[in-house]
Amino acid sequence: MSAYISLPMFGAGTGQRLRLEAGRCRSCAALVYPQRPQCPGCGDDAFDTAPLSGTGTLYTYTVIAGGGAPAEFDDQQTMTGPLTVGVVALTEGPHVIAQIADADPETLEIGMPLRAVVRRLFDQEGVVRYGTKFVPAADA
Amino acid sequence: MGFCMRRVAVIGVGQTSYGLSPERTLKSLFAEAARAAFADVPGGLDPGAVDEAYIGSLSTGGSQLGNFAPLMLESAGMTGVSGRHVESACASSGFAFRDAYLAVASGAARIAAAGGIEKMSDLPRERTRSWLGVSGDVEWERLAGTNFPGIYAMMARRHMHEHGTTKAQITAVGVKNRANAVANPTAQVRKAITLDQALAMPMLADPFCLADACGITDGASMVLLCDWETARAFTDTPVEVVGSGAGTDFVAIHDRPSLTRLPAARKAACQAYAQAGLGPADIDLAEVHDCFTIGEILAYADLGFCDEAEAGRLVADGVTARDGPRPVNVSGGLIGKGHPIGATGTGQIYELVHQLRGTAREPSRQIAAPRYGLAHNVGGSGGSVAVHILKAAD
Repeated sequence: MSAYISLPMFGAGTGQRLRLEAGRCRSCAALVYPQRPQCPGCGDDAFDTAPLSGTGTLYTYTVIAGGGAPAEFDDQQTMTGPLTVGVVALTEGPHVIAQIADADPETLEIGMPLRAVVRRLFDQEGVVRYGTKFVPAADA
Repeated sequence: MGFCMRRVAVIGVGQTSYGLSPERTLKSLFAEAARAAFADVPGGLDPGAVDEAYIGSLSTGGSQLGNFAPLMLESAGMTGVSGRHVESACASSGFAFRDAYLAVASGAARIAAAGGIEKMSDLPRERTRSWLGVSGDVEWERLAGTNFPGIYAMMARRHMHEHGTTKAQITAVGVKNRANAVANPTAQVRKAITLDQALAMPMLADPFCLADACGITDGASMVLLCDWETARAFTDTPVEVVGSGAGTDFVAIHDRPSLTRLPAARKAACQAYAQAGLGPADIDLAEVHDCFTIGEILAYADLGFCDEAEAGRLVADGVTARDGPRPVNVSGGLIGKGHPIGATGTGQIYELVHQLRGTAREPSRQIAAPRYGLAHNVGGSGGSVAVHILKAAD
């Protein structure tokens, strides 16, 4: 059983999910990512789109043992086993939770440089849902 | 807290044993806890005399979403009582307790009931994996691929990185709490393990192994609150609620500036301490939210028992052991006693009230003459936290 995020709702997030579009608050210039209905700093709700570079460093991470990830990721875990998830400190400042791909967990270190890639997340409603994962920047 | 608040006492507490009860219904579990709470009031109390009831639950996998509270109340002979379901993830009944406290403190109610229940054991595995993973920021946490062990594991790794806390120190919480649970007749996991055995258990979400996590539990709990002036009519040992605090925070951990503290817990603790006119040094025992071992490590500093960097040593040095200077989770905590999600908050109150009255079952687990006890109940990974301070009768 999956957590249900409808296709229109997921689709509305493609700018921030696939192109890493943050919001730049028009009042206080805070960079808000993931996007929010209003600025957590000043409360204004007007933002300009501000694409992020997609570079960052590993802030923390975990390796989720086989069978433990949410049901949406059953296919992925069946194919690749344990799944690595981290919090990435983006170069521009915001943090984001994402999978860490193409890396042996034994080689991961807090602070290591990463870069964003678009990858398949899971299927729902017969449609592949894509999102951003991060890979070691040295593999760029 | 408002200046015109009335003093409030807990006059009765009840709880089922925590464990696996696949054959029992929600109604049967809740009725047992409620009956125990009413029977615990020495002067007796008619269930119909309750003015307001607050029932915490995450809703048992969606098995009973609507009209949850009236269904529980009718099962407990409380048909007709004003009641509602309170949801705040794993802090559901911590918030139910706060709501009941506020109802009595404000003067709106004379007697209020706060309870909680969860039945986690007999659901299809697919459903369990679904409903236990939707108390975070689903769009960003779950749909990146992480579960709750993963979220707490990332906090643990950050604590290790920033403060040099070791994996052995963190897992020592799980060893301590399992040891405490052995003497608790209501606990689920009554089997002690050594630290070496704990560290050798299968990996769950690195750096966590199975020893770092609570399990799947069925159970219910309920407590009865009354204004201080009339509490003595019911009992000679009213336990006063001297501090109540609660807070919320960003639900997703990537929106928080630090992963080595829970701001909602700090706000809740400050509020409760300020109201009580007490500080961390006054607390004789605490029941804290150790859904994962790091949760207790975070609680030590969030509650002011030590600095963040010292938290790992606090448990490793035995400070928070049952026979240490500051016992934490003598019940066994969520890891040892069990974590029937919605029942946990008022289950913590159940333990504290018995300890403060000197009636903890099994003499070996009774803390000597405690005066103040603190309960710390966390929803999700810190998106909501309730803290309460209770005082033994003079």
